[in-house]
Amino acid sequence: MYAALLSNRYLTSRVIPLIAVGAVALCVALVIIVVSVMSGFLDMLKASGRTLIGDVIVSSGIGGIPHYDEWLADLRALPEVEEATPVIDTLGLLRMPYPSGPSKEIAPVQVWAIEPASFARVTAYGEKVWWRPPADDAAREAMLPDDPRLRMDGSILRDGLTLTQGATGKPGIVMGMHVSVGNARQSDGSYRPRFGWFMPGEEVTLTVVPVSESGTISEPRDATFPIVNEVFSGVYDVDKSRVFIPLAQAQQLLRLDAAPLYDTTAEPDAEGNLPLLGTTPARVTKVLIRAKPGVDALAARDAVEASWDAFVAKAARRSDRLGRPPERVSILTWEQQLRDLIGPVEKEREMMRILFSIIYIVCAGLILSIFWSIVIEKTRDIGILRSVGASRLGILWIFLRYGLAIGVVGSLAGVGIAWVVVDNINLIHEAIGRDAPRAAWITTCALSVLSVVMALRSLVWRGRLLPGLLWTIATVTLGIITLALLGHRGTLIWDPSVYYFSRIPSQVDWFNAAITVGGGIVFSVIGAAIPAAKAADVDPVEALRYG
Amino acid sequence: MAEATPSHPGESLRDAGRSRRPPSAATAPPILAAHEVHRTYRFGQIEVPVLRGASIAIGRGEWVAILGQSGSGKSTLMHLLGGLDRPDAGRGTIEFDGRAVNLGAGRSLDRYRNRDVGFVFQFYHLLPELSVLENACLPGLVGGWFGHARAAAARRRAGELLEQAGLSHRLRHRPAELSGGERQRVAIARALVNGPRVLLADEPTGNLDATTGASILDLIAAQHAEGLTVAMVTHDSSVAARAQRVVHLRDGQVVDG
Repeated sequence: MYAALLSNRYLTSRVIPLIAVGAVALCVALVIIVVSVMSGFLDMLKASGRTLIGDVIVSSGIGGIPHYDEWLADLRALPEVEEATPVIDTLGLLRMPYPSGPSKEIAPVQVWAIEPASFARVTAYGEKVWWRPPADDAAREAMLPDDPRLRMDGSILRDGLTLTQGATGKPGIVMGMHVSVGNARQSDGSYRPRFGWFMPGEEVTLTVVPVSESGTISEPRDATFPIVNEVFSGVYDVDKSRVFIPLAQAQQLLRLDAAPLYDTTAEPDAEGNLPLLGTTPARVTKVLIRAKPGVDALAARDAVEASWDAFVAKAARRSDRLGRPPERVSILTWEQQLRDLIGPVEKEREMMRILFSIIYIVCAGLILSIFWSIVIEKTRDIGILRSVGASRLGILWIFLRYGLAIGVVGSLAGVGIAWVVVDNINLIHEAIGRDAPRAAWITTCALSVLSVVMALRSLVWRGRLLPGLLWTIATVTLGIITLALLGHRGTLIWDPSVYYFSRIPSQVDWFNAAITVGGGIVFSVIGAAIPAAKAADVDPVEALRYG
Repeated sequence: MAEATPSHPGESLRDAGRSRRPPSAATAPPILAAHEVHRTYRFGQIEVPVLRGASIAIGRGEWVAILGQSGSGKSTLMHLLGGLDRPDAGRGTIEFDGRAVNLGAGRSLDRYRNRDVGFVFQFYHLLPELSVLENACLPGLVGGWFGHARAAAARRRAGELLEQAGLSHRLRHRPAELSGGERQRVAIARALVNGPRVLLADEPTGNLDATTGASILDLIAAQHAEGLTVAMVTHDSSVAARAQRVVHLRDGQVVDG
């Protein structure tokens, strides 16, 4: 009981323990912030992978998957599969509608040709189409008055979901939000047209290069599409380069549609026609699959693999030899597909965790040195306590408890700091990204001047060295901050083109936070243990005589 | 003769005093005794013998003053009697109520210091972070993990003692806010809070002016009058004169008494 009384009193009646609490809090906050951002980054990577590509991805070579509609029917019949959708994945060049004049900007893009309805059931495409009217009054209230979406009706969303321009019936194109430079992201995460370049309604020309099954490159082909909407996935790479067009148009452009096949080795008939061998089936290069709820992606992949083998065997029994599917295709879960991306990030996170955990040792050393000085200062108190019957273990417990209290208070404060920082990390980042507000540097400048006055008052008029030194340090620090603010012209720390996502992850990783708090407490107690043992070993007579 | 001793805080000082009062200090067996104790301090290669076979017996309810020059070993003898220190190995014993306290384990010595004796020091030795009341009840808080009831009893007992010492208006003050005499009164209340059978006072007036010192001695005398055994170290013969018996210590040995 006296241990509780004394450790609490030592904690609250002195400044040094508060420094130790601050040190523990900063160490814990630092580790939690770093690990939370990296964990959040990892979670976003995984979540985005799943929402953008489904649970299982089947990819073929350049020749594509023939008779894919038959296989899709087989897949949809599987108990593990919720939906499957065909995709053609290729590269292209997009001739943008800007700038004005004959010379237009050309953007390299990744073209995904899709069947929008089934694609939206496999992926979160429907939720990612950006330009749409607010869903309800609450969403309307949340938007800023100048948000273009407030003036939209449902047709733009419908066009985006069907990849068709409703007014003309033309097949349309949906572009990633950052393919065009015309979209300016706002601090609230919404977009405004830049230079008046609002993309929906404009037209772009897409150029692609057909490649035959044997790898022969044909003449580039192009087609003009009206932009019917834009899509924001939150994954910068996707938003910067991906465009969606209807599957049928892509098959025509890339010569992957169904087409008659003639015998070019035979002589033409009297009308000059070559003998018809048959019809080559339409092909796609990818099939994306959504597993049924509760079905593990690996189990779904196994079922898809078995289905593919059965499909290949069935194709081998066909009488015609056209459109044989490739024997080998890549069948991966979303996690395997993104392994090259996820693996290094996971390793990097662990590396950061280990490196930043070294801070704990610094923290323990700091507490050790602070406690050592406290024990020396409190030697007489220890003698007094021994004289009234306190045991050595009791003395040990006072200081261990003291360290424990510092660890607990510091760690919890660290969690609080980390939570505030992580929760507002995008706001903080945006503030750093802007010029320093005038009020900020005027304030620090005024405080700096005040510190000079206080320093002079302490040193010259009152002749006090310590407060004078502290005020001088404050003056120098505030002066440096003022100069830094004056020179600050906005710093982009989180570059979306490097970090994949346009927003910094802002969720505290509570599991890791709990581990970090545990580490903070343990190392605080370890730091306190050696001085505590020294305190317990204090000779009471010596302590009373010389303490 | 078996004696009912107040060993629990909460029992009033006056009640405790009545139960402690012995019939005759001179005829009673000693409650605290040192037999041929030696104590040598070592500073590196240098050995400084402080006590050289000192013996003393303090009867129940007796007030003994240990008088001696500076460096004669008075405080060392007091520390040995109070279980704060032990004699050199195999060279003397300290007996309390017929049992050797210096031969027991550390925990039994802790308990001895907590329950059986109370210390008053020249420099008061109060804990600066604690209030007057907390300082006074400190021994009552020591010595148990599950002590809420014990702590409450210690607070009550400390409050009574401080009231008797005229400090009831100072309970929430810190030691730094008290005068020297008031601090020593708090130290006496602390020494008595667990109802010890012996009060060990090491120069209790050595840091006080004559008037304040006299008031402190009056307070000790009042406790002695209620049956408390007192062993007091001093180098001031006028202070020693307040005791029933004076023992002289010279060069680490008791030379009379």
